[in-house]
Amino acid sequence: MTNLGADETAMAGVRFLGARKTYWRLLTRGALLLMVTLGIYRFWLATDVRRFLWANTDVAGESLEYNGTPLELLSGFLVAVAILIPVYAGFFLTTLDMGLVGEISGPLGFALLFLIGQYGLYRARRYRLTRTIYRGLRFHQEGSNWGFALRATLWWTLTVFTIGLAYPFQLASLERYKLRYTFYGDLPGRFAGVGWRLFLRGLPMWLLVMAPLLITVGAFIEVVDMEALSDALSQASDEEMMAIIEAGNPGLIPVLVFGTLMLGASVAFAVLLYPAYQAVVLRWWMSGLRFGALEMASALRMRHVYGAYFRFVGLVLLFALVLAILALPALYAVGTLTGGTETTAAGEIAATAILLGVYVVAALGLSVIYRVTVLLSLWQLGMESLQLSGLSALDGVQAQGRPASALGEGLTDALHVGSYS
Amino acid sequence: MMPNHEAPTMTEGPGVYFDGRTSTRHDVRVTLTPSGLQVDDGEGRRIADWPYDQLDELNAPAHVLRLGRRNNPALERLEILDPPFAHAIDLLAQNVDRTGAIQRRQRISVIRWAVVATTMLLVVATIGVPAIAERLAPVVPVAIERKLGDAVNMQVRGQLDTGNAGAAFECGSGASETAGRAALDKIIRRLEGAAALRMPLTSTVVRRPEPNALALPGGQIYVFSGLIDKAENADEVAGVIAHEIGHVAHRDGTQAVLQGAGLSFLFGMLLGDFVGGGAVVIAAKTVLQSSYSREAESAADRYGAELMKRTHGNAHALATMLAKIGGATEPGMKILLDHPETKARIAAINRIATDGPTVPFLNAAEWAALKRICAG
Repeated sequence: MTNLGADETAMAGVRFLGARKTYWRLLTRGALLLMVTLGIYRFWLATDVRRFLWANTDVAGESLEYNGTPLELLSGFLVAVAILIPVYAGFFLTTLDMGLVGEISGPLGFALLFLIGQYGLYRARRYRLTRTIYRGLRFHQEGSNWGFALRATLWWTLTVFTIGLAYPFQLASLERYKLRYTFYGDLPGRFAGVGWRLFLRGLPMWLLVMAPLLITVGAFIEVVDMEALSDALSQASDEEMMAIIEAGNPGLIPVLVFGTLMLGASVAFAVLLYPAYQAVVLRWWMSGLRFGALEMASALRMRHVYGAYFRFVGLVLLFALVLAILALPALYAVGTLTGGTETTAAGEIAATAILLGVYVVAALGLSVIYRVTVLLSLWQLGMESLQLSGLSALDGVQAQGRPASALGEGLTDALHVGSYS
Repeated sequence: MMPNHEAPTMTEGPGVYFDGRTSTRHDVRVTLTPSGLQVDDGEGRRIADWPYDQLDELNAPAHVLRLGRRNNPALERLEILDPPFAHAIDLLAQNVDRTGAIQRRQRISVIRWAVVATTMLLVVATIGVPAIAERLAPVVPVAIERKLGDAVNMQVRGQLDTGNAGAAFECGSGASETAGRAALDKIIRRLEGAAALRMPLTSTVVRRPEPNALALPGGQIYVFSGLIDKAENADEVAGVIAHEIGHVAHRDGTQAVLQGAGLSFLFGMLLGDFVGGGAVVIAAKTVLQSSYSREAESAADRYGAELMKRTHGNAHALATMLAKIGGATEPGMKILLDHPETKARIAAINRIATDGPTVPFLNAAEWAALKRICAG
């Protein structure tokens, strides 16, 4: 019945059927419950969100199914905590040691936790894939968790040292690794995206953001007499210091003003270009996905992504206005509780709780708005921009792969890297 | 459009079936029998026979009823797209519920358990954490406590030592200060002898204008020069030092470190990072820690007063000194102040102190020397 009227193009593409209203309701209720349960509800919310997104994504006439459960996420988290306790205890003890071990335990600990975080991200992907079912077959992922973690850590190091210039190549390399080990049943995945292509598309944006900063650094080196400056900074009193700085560097104050303006320009470019950047990366990534002979191409339009961000900004302004009006009585209560001469500890606790409540409502509200206006839109726009060719590859695929545990999800949660989505 | 609920429900309808072994899509006929549903392919072959009580309703878009068989290792799926027919199955199978009532019930039970768990966590944080720290602190080896003290000492010195216009941070080493140092040692010896601590004390007078004193893990005590300036006799200084020895005896510094670690673990790790949760965690930690330390201060007061009594000092002097510096405590929110209300503390100390004859800690000359310990 539904299929009779569907035309060929709809069958060949990806559709998103979810009602935005349902998603609003789901996230708003989730935010309230997160507040009441101090975050314990997050396993249930994450599962609800995934069930909504998966079920409403229709690929060639058949929708995806998410069959993970909140209890799997919860137990994965508890196991992750049990694993991390000795690690944290070890760090705690080594920081007490005053010697060399204590000195290097900070950076070493950061590196180790970063590695564990990347390990968790790859394992979490494994869990999500094996809980994704399409036409009665699950996806699965092979490959080494530690192999990926090591690769990702090295790539991130390179990206940081090149101020982001290596990032396109990092993405391409890591996606190649992930997709090479991703399977739908026995149908192997592949990533065909090329790092250079993303690099060339991203370079103009990178230059626009970085140029003001580079110009500022250049101006500083040109104008400022470094010796005089370091001499000035070693002076005890502030007035002496300022006097010496001004005498030794007549151009310093204008350069400081110029630098501040340039920094502002850089931040403004970054904010304005962020949607464009997201559109470019998303389109490049989706166009590189392959499963056997099945090829994907994305026609994602940049202006649609900008539209999503405009809606986000508009709703945030509206939300801020409403919150300000609603928070007025709360702030008045805080004033009466703490304003008098005889302030009691109980009154102070109540006032603090009220302020915290307003803060939490604001933060959760922003997060809900962001997830509906930006993240859901990106999911929907991305999915609906896909054109599939070679769909016959999806016929006659054989079942393969076994469900994986949610330990990876737990690790990323406990380490605060990448939240559930 | 809506099916008439009074009419006999459908017993046969179309469906889409996936066998869980291949991705091939089968258009099937589904027949509802009294005990279960039967799935037949186009040629009339029976593919599946599922009892109603083994049906599971699975994640699907609103217009699709997606069914699976419970505890089936293969991901066999049956999809019903016809709304009246889906409704008929809904009526027959207990676990299939398109109204969402089962889900709502489950959700309410989840919320109930989550609220219970949250309450338990708060109880553990307010009662459990300080209790565990109290029991754990005495068994921490002295060597580790010393190391901890060294680490804290570096931080504290970094904060307190603000130049002092060229003078040394520590008093008592200059030529005109050694007599003061000897007087301080005399007070410490008398108190330490009666205290029977597990580790030797290290005490230092430092140049700080505030009337205050500090005890660190590992037995380091800092007496601020501002305290000596404000004191009118040696017993007042001794009283405050006795209070600080109380912190050392109770190992409050170690306890505070353990409490901080415990709270960080409880709030930072077990409660997740939902948006806005960070501020709640910090606020909860701050309020809880200041409430722990208020109790530690009262306990140190009692210890100090008892120690003064045992060494035949004037235990009232601690109360007198408190009254003097109580007015000088910085303004701020009461729930964040480490110290309990000064009036209550003074009353508690005076209840312990007796009015018998006392032996002063220092004679007039020694007291004068102590007053000049930071003379430079």
